[in-house]
Amino acid sequence: MTLTQDQTLTDRGDGDGRYDKLPTVSPLGDALDWKWLKGANTEWGVRPKIGPRGLTMLDIATGSYGVVPDNPTHRSMAPRGADIDPDTPDMGYILNKKSDVWADNVVELYEEAVARQWSATRDIPWGELRELPSDIEHAMCQVCTTLTEVEMIAADLPAKWMWRMNHDFLEAKMFLCTQIMDEARHAEVFRKRALANGGGLLMSRGQSEGLLRTIIEAKSYTQATALMHLLGEGFILDIFRMGELISPSPVEKRMFRMAMQDEARHVAYGTMHIRYAVEQDPDVAEEIHEALDHGEAVLTAFGTNQDFGTALAVLLGGGVEHVETKGFALQADMQRKQFTSYLARCERAGISRLHRTKLPLELLGLDPNTILAN
Amino acid sequence: MNIATKAFFVALANELNAHPEQFKVHGEADMVAALVMRKADGDFAVRVAFEGLRVEDIKETSVAEAAAADYYLDGPLAAWQAMFDDILANGSASGRLTINSLALLGTDIRLRGDDPMGVDKFSRFNQTLQEYLDGAARVAVAAG
Ligand SMILES: [Fe+2]
Ligand SMILES: [Fe+2]
Repeated sequence: MTLTQDQTLTDRGDGDGRYDKLPTVSPLGDALDWKWLKGANTEWGVRPKIGPRGLTMLDIATGSYGVVPDNPTHRSMAPRGADIDPDTPDMGYILNKKSDVWADNVVELYEEAVARQWSATRDIPWGELRELPSDIEHAMCQVCTTLTEVEMIAADLPAKWMWRMNHDFLEAKMFLCTQIMDEARHAEVFRKRALANGGGLLMSRGQSEGLLRTIIEAKSYTQATALMHLLGEGFILDIFRMGELISPSPVEKRMFRMAMQDEARHVAYGTMHIRYAVEQDPDVAEEIHEALDHGEAVLTAFGTNQDFGTALAVLLGGGVEHVETKGFALQADMQRKQFTSYLARCERAGISRLHRTKLPLELLGLDPNTILAN
Repeated sequence: MNIATKAFFVALANELNAHPEQFKVHGEADMVAALVMRKADGDFAVRVAFEGLRVEDIKETSVAEAAAADYYLDGPLAAWQAMFDDILANGSASGRLTINSLALLGTDIRLRGDDPMGVDKFSRFNQTLQEYLDGAARVAVAAG
């Protein structure tokens, strides 16, 4: 970051005496001190350098404005870096430690999210959809039905916690706002696909709800983020990758690729948040492990969702006639990959689950001692 | 078209860099990807550095250096050739020959890397990477 001092802005003088003659009382009779003009106690005169992409949040994280306190003293929505009145009201924040919400990549991820927004209306070539064999269309519609059902949990969860986050962690809250928009678009795009080709929304039998309830009812934000960003969205990211593989046309391929990009950002935040939280307070690790013990068991139960599972297997096999010979086998292979990438992310997050995981590794022939060998 | 050359990947980069309007919809991408092509007369590896809306650098490297990228895609030359042949035939990758599909199946081309966060960049910027590779169709047309 290059800072340039601007001499005209650094001049915090009295404006050649002009400010001395300002009115001291407002037309309504209130006292005026003109402090914002005469010398707020704040950093003045630093100017961020505008980069080739414009002015990013990283660019303006200059001087004291880039310093995110570990333990903010305020509980108000006052902007970090301003001259804040000591008597600002308490907004009821309960996440007041930086390690409660922060991730070292969160500012970068916010900019990336803003730069890579897309439209489910405009950016998917819906007009290229062609009539598909009935079993394939049904399977795609079932996959989209289940995905539509689970997408919005990843909007509700940040929404549940965001108003409890100290406002000094603005960039983390901004990133979560982008996630909420992403999830709205995911719910939108999968709902649209279910309806767009003459099919429709199919089965919903409550098998997803146990997982969703576990996430929304997590006791702490860090437990919630472990369950959602690391575990749930890590698995959904792999589902999207699988969706791209089994897409019957370029329309679904584009849909899953675009959703995949968003989902990987959410996972990147969760992984690095947990890493940060554990680095700052190693005691948090056990709390996260306990959440994941339960979450992995619930996720395994979600994996038994027969509607979603068999629909994926039909798409993987290329039709109902191949579901047993090809579909189920390829599905097991994909699950091995899901478990492997999840366990690798846990290592990166500083929460090794290799010998504690409740995922059925044995059932899939995975050995915790060798699973991460590249 | 000899795909196991730096010149080929430079041509793909030039194609992408000449059409910023096409990539602007996808937004900036910051990643270093590497591709490794295994062949009998010596492996070929290339590092492709994406920055903003451009490919900023193409570098032929050793396989060991390729492993230092955010992620690397590793497979036999024949598998890479099949992927690019499909792109040329269809104008863009199709079916199970998209880069994500190939890497997910992992039978011919494997997605590798030491850091799961780096490996996840393959997903974070997948559409951009796919369009970079799909540029082969336009490069081939231009080359006649
Ligand atoms: Fe999502
Ligand atoms: Fe998500």
